[in-house]
Amino acid sequence: MKLILITTFFSLFTLLISCTKEVKIDIPGYKKQLVVDGNIETGSPAIVLLSSSNDIYSPTNLDAYLNGFISGATVIVSDGTITDTLLEICSDNLPAGTEEIASAFFGIPVDQLVNLHLCAYITDQIVGEEGKTYSLKVIHEGKEYTAQTTILPPTNLDDSFWKPEPGLSEYGFAWLKLTDAPQSGDSYKWEVKRISDFGFSKPFGPFFNDRFFNGLTFEFAYENPMSYNDPSVPDQFKGYYHQGDTIVMKLSKLGQSEFQFFEKKYNQIYSSGNPFATPVNVPSNISGGALGIWAGFSPSYDTLICIQ
Amino acid sequence: MLNRFFLLIFLGLNFQFFSQKATISGYLTDASNGEALIGAKALIPLTKQGAVTNTYGFYSLTLPVGKYVIEYRYTSFLTITKEIDLTKDVSLNVELGSSVNELNEVEINAKKGENVNSAKLGQVELQMEQIKTLPAFMGEVDVIKAIQLLPGVSSVSEGGQGFYVRGGGPDQNLVLVDEAVVYNAAHLFGFFSVFNADAVKGVNLIKGGMPANYGGRMSSVLEVNMNEGNNKEFKVKGGIGAISSRITVEGPLKKDKGSFIVSGRRTYIDVIMKAAIPDTSPFAGTSYFFYDFNLKLNYKITKKDRVFLSGYYGKDVFSFGDTKSNFNVKMPWGNGIAAFRWNHLFNPKLFMNVTGTFTDYMFKFGSNQDQFRFSLTSGVRDVGAKVDFSYYPNTKHKLKWGADYIFHTFTPTSVSAESDSIVFDTGLAQKLYSHESAVYLTDEFDLNDAWKFNVGLRYSMYQQVGPFTRYIKGDVGTPDTSIQYGKGDLIKFYGGFEPRFSFRWMLPDKSSIKGGYSFNYQYVHLTSLSAVSLPTDIWYPTTDKAKPQSGWQTSLGYFKNFDDDKWETSIEAYYKGMNNLIEYKEGALPGDNVNDNTDNLLVFGKGWSYGVEFFVKRTFGKLTGWVGYTWSKTERKFADLNEGNPYPAKYDRRHDLSIVATYKLNERWTFGAAFIYATGNTLTLPTSWYVQEQNLLFNYGARNSTRMAPYHRLDISATWYDKATKTKTDAVTGAKIEVKKRFRHNWSFSVYNVYNRANPFFLFVDNNGDFLSGDFKLTVKQVTLFPVIPSVTWNFAF
Repeated sequence: MKLILITTFFSLFTLLISCTKEVKIDIPGYKKQLVVDGNIETGSPAIVLLSSSNDIYSPTNLDAYLNGFISGATVIVSDGTITDTLLEICSDNLPAGTEEIASAFFGIPVDQLVNLHLCAYITDQIVGEEGKTYSLKVIHEGKEYTAQTTILPPTNLDDSFWKPEPGLSEYGFAWLKLTDAPQSGDSYKWEVKRISDFGFSKPFGPFFNDRFFNGLTFEFAYENPMSYNDPSVPDQFKGYYHQGDTIVMKLSKLGQSEFQFFEKKYNQIYSSGNPFATPVNVPSNISGGALGIWAGFSPSYDTLICIQ
Repeated sequence: MLNRFFLLIFLGLNFQFFSQKATISGYLTDASNGEALIGAKALIPLTKQGAVTNTYGFYSLTLPVGKYVIEYRYTSFLTITKEIDLTKDVSLNVELGSSVNELNEVEINAKKGENVNSAKLGQVELQMEQIKTLPAFMGEVDVIKAIQLLPGVSSVSEGGQGFYVRGGGPDQNLVLVDEAVVYNAAHLFGFFSVFNADAVKGVNLIKGGMPANYGGRMSSVLEVNMNEGNNKEFKVKGGIGAISSRITVEGPLKKDKGSFIVSGRRTYIDVIMKAAIPDTSPFAGTSYFFYDFNLKLNYKITKKDRVFLSGYYGKDVFSFGDTKSNFNVKMPWGNGIAAFRWNHLFNPKLFMNVTGTFTDYMFKFGSNQDQFRFSLTSGVRDVGAKVDFSYYPNTKHKLKWGADYIFHTFTPTSVSAESDSIVFDTGLAQKLYSHESAVYLTDEFDLNDAWKFNVGLRYSMYQQVGPFTRYIKGDVGTPDTSIQYGKGDLIKFYGGFEPRFSFRWMLPDKSSIKGGYSFNYQYVHLTSLSAVSLPTDIWYPTTDKAKPQSGWQTSLGYFKNFDDDKWETSIEAYYKGMNNLIEYKEGALPGDNVNDNTDNLLVFGKGWSYGVEFFVKRTFGKLTGWVGYTWSKTERKFADLNEGNPYPAKYDRRHDLSIVATYKLNERWTFGAAFIYATGNTLTLPTSWYVQEQNLLFNYGARNSTRMAPYHRLDISATWYDKATKTKTDAVTGAKIEVKKRFRHNWSFSVYNVYNRANPFFLFVDNNGDFLSGDFKLTVKQVTLFPVIPSVTWNFAF
């Protein structure tokens, strides 16, 4: 019997340490593609970033990342009335007052950004308006890529409140009350920031649609995504809002094809490395063989002071 | 076509009206326990005419009246010879005695030459005694793992459910336990099969040339026959292993009239995990276990009537708990199976079996997090009946005909979700109902000494009936519509003929050429979202939108034995075509079928597979075993996948080699070894990466365009048996005598993956670090499940 016991533990031990090792294996089929990352939201200019896709075995150092951004392309946005060729603004030559916007867009601190040559394309004459459809045209290396997006009417939150989690008097989730419109297919993006922050952060599962709650009024809770990168928050309280926090919540409406992109994008991010997930390519709405998205958003905002 | 078919049968029947005949019939059983012997032979050596017992041990031999010497043979049993003066119909039941401990050259080779002589093509029978000598993973003897060592049969990988036969999917195998369908034959994601070795008598795999009495699946039939129970005396046997234990009790209900057998098995991984994971751990609620029970009763009501009741119930339960986030998951799945059978002998030539079956396969997923609750149920329930007649007009013919019927209830997905008092709209619980039925006629006959045929025709029908809601999805921005069908409404009818044909041509040098063709319809599908097969895969029926799968296979083989049938060899080549195969649309997500039909998420295509199988088997002596090698190619083509280009199936294997050996050193020690080599499986990996909103995204290349490293492994085993006898002193004479021990036991030692090969389970692209800090790294990583694993099992019987 002792023999069985010993082998049992050995067997389980070996089972539990199923090993992972790096391998070099032939992955055929790489082709370089243009990546479009563009958006326009109510009250803001359109911003477009262009980059290219990289071979899975290509270098992944900082230079490779920075060199991936494309400048010199022609980017045109039209709302049906005005056609605007976007200005190319580069990080080493930013107009005064746009540093924070550019920093949030590239995800690079301002002090580093100004020393790099990263370019974005921004509309000069067009600002996003609710109900308008915007077409995008990118001309790069002789090829033309096009897309369309519409800024839909926004959905405002009914209410928002904070309540501590059971057993935690000072920490809890942010709760929201939302009434979904009767027609199906409404899609949303949820973001949040501390009132003092410049940019918004996305929690786990920031994109959702009304598949499960079409036409319903319901409450739902969201975590605090900022807390995970905040060393001042103890581990056991990560994900919660602290009593007294003041936060700004942003609920944006988007179209269904744009939602498809973001839903599958996050599905890919969350299932990365999971053998039980099917490989999912993120469906682009750009025609001409490019990757990425051209998306219109109509945000509504709510400010919440976390007191019960 | 039909006219030709019946003409062939008529000509083939070759009735001999001019000589008076009589029939010897009866049952062949194991003398030690009364178990029916399947595939045993009643043979007339002089004329080489004979009969083979069916699943119930019944044989029928019609001969001209006269005197005969009949040999009753069965592998590893002593041959019994009877002299009969046949003047009228005779019923002769024969009990054969096991000679396991006294093997000699004559007895072991009872089935010699059968692989060459029979018309069976692509069929392999494995006895449990043989399977038990093979190395067993974690000490659990496993019939599915044993058949995966045969050419043309493969597993996807360690941890993959099911098995794959000649390029067909796992849903294309008809797995029958005592004639009832098993939808999920795996425990623990395929690491163990649902068949408890102590309850199984033997398995028969048909991978080509499927006879017409089988249908409903395209690739193969795996027939698992359960033990009937000892009808002579009460017996207990069991085993204690590394991760599970089992016990079997059997005995007579009434001696020589009826018997029962009850088996149970349970793993204790959960108990060990509970001890290993402290209560303070965030994963304290994580555990896994499985259990299963087998029950079988049989009773001879009269000399001509016998009834059987078989039951199986097994369940896997996986639990996951994360106390920090107050999140827990419970995931049970399993089968419940019952079969009632009635054998009736109308006369010595006409045997009937009536079967009623019930099969229930269920998968559930339930999770709770704070106030949010979510549950998902998927499953299939079949209620069926069939009747089969076997008619033995003479030694040259064996006719079978019959009919079967199944009422299917499929629950592809039923989802519910709620948060506090809010119940989310997850759509109606989708259930799909259908009738599946078939009639068949088949005749196995000898045209002459050289030519033997098995000709059959099956007609199958399928009706999808209401209640049912058909969702018609509009384009983005346009509303969806639906069609409601009431209870019993006919939604769609499918039907068609399924011809089956095989032949054996005996060549003068005692070798044979065999060929065959079969066409099958399959009315159920298995849909899988993941790269590996899981219990989460959904069984889905044929509907108005999802057409029945259909497939044809043609095969040709050359069979030759050497050294007085001690070596069996064969080469078989096959080509298989498959239509209406299903896959999920690219990018489909499991939640997409809310207020929708699963088949709206499916795409349909075709596939083909071809290959050559080489098989060399040593059937005799201390060293037995086989070498099987398969070269094959399996591809799929879907208009909506992979840009319409053909792509390799995930289990496409160019090379597949198995070497299996068992060496019986003496009565106390038996050694086993199995070596496997297979071309690596295919999978889809990203070919490129890009960045969007500071998130790293991957772009995948052509479907299944990457191939993993080859899979190879060596397993070994050693089994030590206690001495069969013990020495006693005769109370009267004082002499030392050897008496058989009632309590027997053995220790089975095995080592899985002896040389610790890191075989790929799956590959993934891992990313670590941060671009801006300069330490970002993308790597392709391989996950390996099992290193070298020794195990020991103690088995006992009394």
